[in-house]
Amino acid sequence: MKHIYKRLYIILGFVFFMMVLTSCKHGEGEYHSINDKIEAESKHYLGVTVSSEDHIGDIKTIQITEGEHMFLIPERKSQIKSYACTECHTKPLYEMQSHDVKKAHWDIDLDHANDNTMNCVTCHNTNNMNDLISITGNTIDFNKSYQLCSQCHSKPFEDWKGGAHGKRIGGWVPPRLSMTCVNCHNPHQPHFESRWPVRFNTQKVKERE
Amino acid sequence: MGSNKKKWFSLNLSNNKPNGTSCGCGKSSDGCGSHNPTPNKDERTKDGFEQVFDVKMSRRTAFKQLAASLAIGAGAVSTSCSIIAGDESKEKAQIDWEEQFKGNYKLMSDDEKKATVDRLVRSYQLRTGKTLNMSSKNAEKDVLFGYAFNISKCQGYMDCVSACVEENNQDRNSQMQYIRIHEMKDGKGFNFNEADDNYYHEVPAEGHFYMGTQCFHCDNPPCVEVCPVQATWREDDGLVVVDYDWCVGCRYCMAACPYDGRRFNWSKPEVPEEEINKNQHYLGNRMRKKGVMEKCTFCVQRSRVGKNPACVEACPTGARIFGNLLDPNSTIRWVLENKKVFRLKEDLGTEPKFWYFMD
Repeated sequence: MKHIYKRLYIILGFVFFMMVLTSCKHGEGEYHSINDKIEAESKHYLGVTVSSEDHIGDIKTIQITEGEHMFLIPERKSQIKSYACTECHTKPLYEMQSHDVKKAHWDIDLDHANDNTMNCVTCHNTNNMNDLISITGNTIDFNKSYQLCSQCHSKPFEDWKGGAHGKRIGGWVPPRLSMTCVNCHNPHQPHFESRWPVRFNTQKVKERE
Repeated sequence: MGSNKKKWFSLNLSNNKPNGTSCGCGKSSDGCGSHNPTPNKDERTKDGFEQVFDVKMSRRTAFKQLAASLAIGAGAVSTSCSIIAGDESKEKAQIDWEEQFKGNYKLMSDDEKKATVDRLVRSYQLRTGKTLNMSSKNAEKDVLFGYAFNISKCQGYMDCVSACVEENNQDRNSQMQYIRIHEMKDGKGFNFNEADDNYYHEVPAEGHFYMGTQCFHCDNPPCVEVCPVQATWREDDGLVVVDYDWCVGCRYCMAACPYDGRRFNWSKPEVPEEEINKNQHYLGNRMRKKGVMEKCTFCVQRSRVGKNPACVEACPTGARIFGNLLDPNSTIRWVLENKKVFRLKEDLGTEPKFWYFMD
C-alpha cells in the first residue's frame, strides 16, 4: 500500500512541476510582461534615425541642464513685447515711484498666492528690471524664469524636469523641447478658467436614445 | 521566396510592372508578423489571387468574390479593348484590377507596399484631380511606442477629440471618434457605468475628474488573435494596425477588445474635400471604405516621422505623454519609472501600452 502512495506522490509531483513550468508562458512571445520586454530590448538601445529638429519649426530655443536632465525650452525674452524693461525703467524702482504720474502696468492684476507671500518685488528685481530675483536675492534671467517658480512649486518642478508635467512640443524623438512654466501659466494669474468643451457628439445622443 | 515570383496576376494594360523582390514578409528585420517568431511558410507564399480564392469559403462568399472580380475584370477588359476609352480610363481599370487582387499589406515587400501606395495616390488623382501624399514607412528599429495619461491634469476640454477627427479623416456624418473622454465622479473610482463620455457643460465640472480612452495598442492584442483574415496585426514598433483593404468587416475584433478601442464604418466615411488631411499613411488616416474596422493608430503617419500624435499635440493641459519605451532617456520612461502608474484591466494579460498616472 505504501509504495502505491509513494508512486502517486511522485506522479503528482511531476504533474505539478510540469504545471509550474508551463503556466507562466501564455505563448505571446519570449517575455513574461511588457516591463520585461522594455527592460530587455532597451539594453542595447542605439537611437533612432528620425529627429525632432524638423518639427520644431522656427521656435527660438535655449538649452538648459537641470540635474541629470538636459533639454530645450522656448526662448522667452524676445517674446515679451516690452522687453527690455530698462527702456522705461532707467532708474531703480524706488526713484521712479511717485503719485502724480500715470501708472504703468495698470492691466496687470496679481492673483498668485496671498499678500503676505507675494507682491511684485518677490519676483521682479527693483534694482535691475531686466532681471528677476530669487527669494535670497540672486539674479534670475527672464529666459530661465522656471528657477523662480521652482522655489515654491518644487514637486511640479521635479515632474516637469522628468517630463511628467507640462507639454512637449516638436515630437517624441530627441532633442526634447518642453514648454516652460510661463508658456502655459500666466505668472500673475497662474490658474486656468473653466471653459466649454470644443466638441459635442450629437450622433451619439441619437444612438443612445 | 523566389525573387521574381509574381504575387498576383497583372493585366499590364500600361507598361509599369509590379515587381516582387526580397522577403515576402516585407519587414527589413527578421521575422514576420512581429510577434510570431515562426510564421507559417505556407501562409507566406499565399498571396494575391491565392489569398482571395484558395481558401475555404461558403458558396455565398465565393459568388460575391467572383462577381466582384468579374465586374472589375470585365471593366478592365472592355476598357482595354475599347478604342474610344482614353488612356486615363485604361489606367484606372488597370489600377482597379491590381488593387482588387493585391495581397495582404502585412505580407508585402517594401516595393510592393510602395507600389500599392503609388496606385492609391494615382487613383485619387484620377478620380478627383487632386494630389495627396501617402507613406508606407515601416516601423523603425529600436522603437516601441508607449503612452501615458495624467488623470489629474485632464480637464475635459476635448481638444484631443477634435484634433483626432481632423487628423485621421474620420467620417463627419456619423461623428465617429476614436477617443472618448469620460467624466467621472470624484470618490467613485473608475466607474464606467456611471461615467458620461458625451457631456456638454463648462469643464472641469465641480466634483468630477476626466480620463480618456482610445486604442491601447496592447502588446498581446486579443483583437489580432480573433481576426479571421489577418487584416489586423501588431507592427514591430508596437502599433496595432488594420489593412482596410483586407478587412472583411466581421467585427470580431470589436467584440474581442476589452477596452472598446475599435470603431466600425457603418456608412461610407465622407470628409469635405477641403478638410481632408492629405498627409496620409497606408495603415493610418487614408480614406476608408464602408464596412471596415478602424481605430486609433497613435497617428502612424505622424509618429513614424518623429511627431507626436495629434491628440498629444492638441492637448492644452499636457496630460498626454507619448514616446519611445525603448529609449532609456525618454520622458515616457521617466514617467513609468517615477510616477505611480497603472493600466486598465491589467489582469487580462493584454499588456496595453497605455498607462494612467496622477500628479
